[in-house]
Amino acid sequence: MTGAAADVEPAPGGGRHTLFAALGVAAGVALGAALGLVAFDQTEPPRDRHIVVRARQYAYDPPVIRVNRGDRLFLKLVALDVMHGFFLEGHDLDVEIAPQQSTFKVRHPSRPDDWTEQEEVVVIADTPGKFRFRCSHTCGSLHPFMSGELIVEPNRVLHAGLGACGGLFVGSVAVARRRSRSASR
Amino acid sequence: MQVASTPKRPPAPAPAAARSKHPSDRAGVDLCAAIPGLRAVLKWRPLQFWLMWANLVCFAVFINAGLFGSPVGSHNIMIVFVWILWWFLLIALLVPFLSRFWCTMCPLPAFGEWLQRLRLIGVWPGSGPAKHRTRSLGLSRAWPRALQNIWLQNGGFLGLAVCSALLVTRPIVSTVVLGGMIVLALGLALVYRQRAFCMYLCPVSGFLGLYSMTSTVAVRVKDRALCRGHKEKECLLGCAAGYGCPWFQYVGSMERNNYCGMCFECFKTCPHDNVTLYLRPFCSETGIKGVDEAFKAFIMVALALVYSVTLLGPWGVVKDWANASESGHWGGFALYALAVVGLCLVLFPALHLGAVALGRRLGGGPAVRLKAAFVGFAYTWVPLGLLAWIAFSVPLLMVNGAYILSALSDPMGRGADFFGTATVAWHPILPEWVPLLQAPLLLVGLFYALSKSLQVSRQLFGPPARAVPAVLPVWGLATAVTAVFMFFFAG
Repeated sequence: MTGAAADVEPAPGGGRHTLFAALGVAAGVALGAALGLVAFDQTEPPRDRHIVVRARQYAYDPPVIRVNRGDRLFLKLVALDVMHGFFLEGHDLDVEIAPQQSTFKVRHPSRPDDWTEQEEVVVIADTPGKFRFRCSHTCGSLHPFMSGELIVEPNRVLHAGLGACGGLFVGSVAVARRRSRSASR
Repeated sequence: MQVASTPKRPPAPAPAAARSKHPSDRAGVDLCAAIPGLRAVLKWRPLQFWLMWANLVCFAVFINAGLFGSPVGSHNIMIVFVWILWWFLLIALLVPFLSRFWCTMCPLPAFGEWLQRLRLIGVWPGSGPAKHRTRSLGLSRAWPRALQNIWLQNGGFLGLAVCSALLVTRPIVSTVVLGGMIVLALGLALVYRQRAFCMYLCPVSGFLGLYSMTSTVAVRVKDRALCRGHKEKECLLGCAAGYGCPWFQYVGSMERNNYCGMCFECFKTCPHDNVTLYLRPFCSETGIKGVDEAFKAFIMVALALVYSVTLLGPWGVVKDWANASESGHWGGFALYALAVVGLCLVLFPALHLGAVALGRRLGGGPAVRLKAAFVGFAYTWVPLGLLAWIAFSVPLLMVNGAYILSALSDPMGRGADFFGTATVAWHPILPEWVPLLQAPLLLVGLFYALSKSLQVSRQLFGPPARAVPAVLPVWGLATAVTAVFMFFFAG
């Protein structure tokens, strides 16, 4: 096997076949992504959820918070060892949690100097998707990798991505088999 | 510093079009012909020295910070610049678009090479019967034949990967490892010929070589027939204008980027200016050669999965195990190390072997040796692995990139503020967009994995009626692995 790309002979039919193949694969990806979106778009009605998040070096408990679109989350944040942060992506929320305290300091990064002391923070899960919460207060060696996940269903990026993977596979199989048949004729 | 004088050039050869060509000769655009001055730059002897020197100065700052700076990684330039900025640039830009250009300027082998040559820039010419050869300080032994492969690189990279939670967060550990590599490269340069460290030991070199196969540029000759007819072989043996290939490669027949360190010595030594830089499509090379290279492909994909769980994932217990020096969970660390090594060296290769064996049966190809199919189809994991690594690296820059500004002003993390950016607060750049970038990157990787593995299958099994069924199980496995990545990144 030489390994040179040019060693492979072009498919019979040349550019027209390549165009059809590309269209076929692209159609597979688009169809797969659309199917993924449609198939998993149903969620339960919104509700309130009260969640205690415990932060410790270098993880949160629970590590993954899975909710539905429209849910209201009432978060109590507790630091078990040292000072931690809770920066929630996509929600303009940053919290500083001191150990063994019942309250914590909250700010919105869009207004960085406006800190308030709170016992609970409310998050409206109005945007579906995956949002990581990260420690925003240097807490030790693995601090940059201390994170948790808020999954707001329907997680469209995941569903479309998985659907597109499947569509790419199916589309490629279909195109390859069609080429195989036309080559054998 | 000595600069060699330009030797007298032989007469120009016959027009290239008049000679026969190898298929890889027509693989792209000749950048030296398209970009005025590029050839002169690549032939300029001080080029590599100055690139290495600049990196060596940066490296000295990093080592200093690692030794005497803040032990907190996110406040130390050693960690921030090496494992956030350099890593991202390397995997996302340099490798896909410039092949092994990092090796051109890598500071790790600098001292060894300069000592070998007793020159910083010029050529140490030979004398006597071997007057065309260049000289070299040290024992100049040949690297042991049994080790002329990348198994040591595979082992070294895997070993470092198991300890990655330490390596990428503790400045002192990074300093010891990178400093140790400089010392090792220096020692080996005095015992073995040329770039033995880079070829056979450097853990970074192993994956750079593998993924450089995908790169859009390649050093190749314009006309192979000219090389075949040219007996002097200055590109191999050296001459007054430059050294023989420090990477032991013969550019006249080179088909792959894997072991071309882009030192551009062959540009300088070729009397016919027959060596050039080609621009070509992504993933132009598909030939994995040897089980060692195949395992490198498995290791890289598996480690991208492991890092996605250990470093990017939310699971504290895995972090505790990987971070045993702090958490004290040494039993967990042993389990973690066993799982990582098992995934890389047993489970993933076994899944690949199963898919290949099934494909071989479907392709009706007992004539195709299982080992050849196993090695050949391993290329599937090259584009997929590279894109998965890029997807993994995107959040490193977007989330932790803010540390770059503060580390630039305060490299040691000791309170300096050289550029007024030391107090820039950590703030991720559009972190909620990260999955939206990662998912398409994975799909691009899967697309190339599928299309290139079909190409490999046609090379192995011949007609599409056999090649298509033969590749289906590998396609299924690649799709499943991509789905797992998708789950970790977006789910």
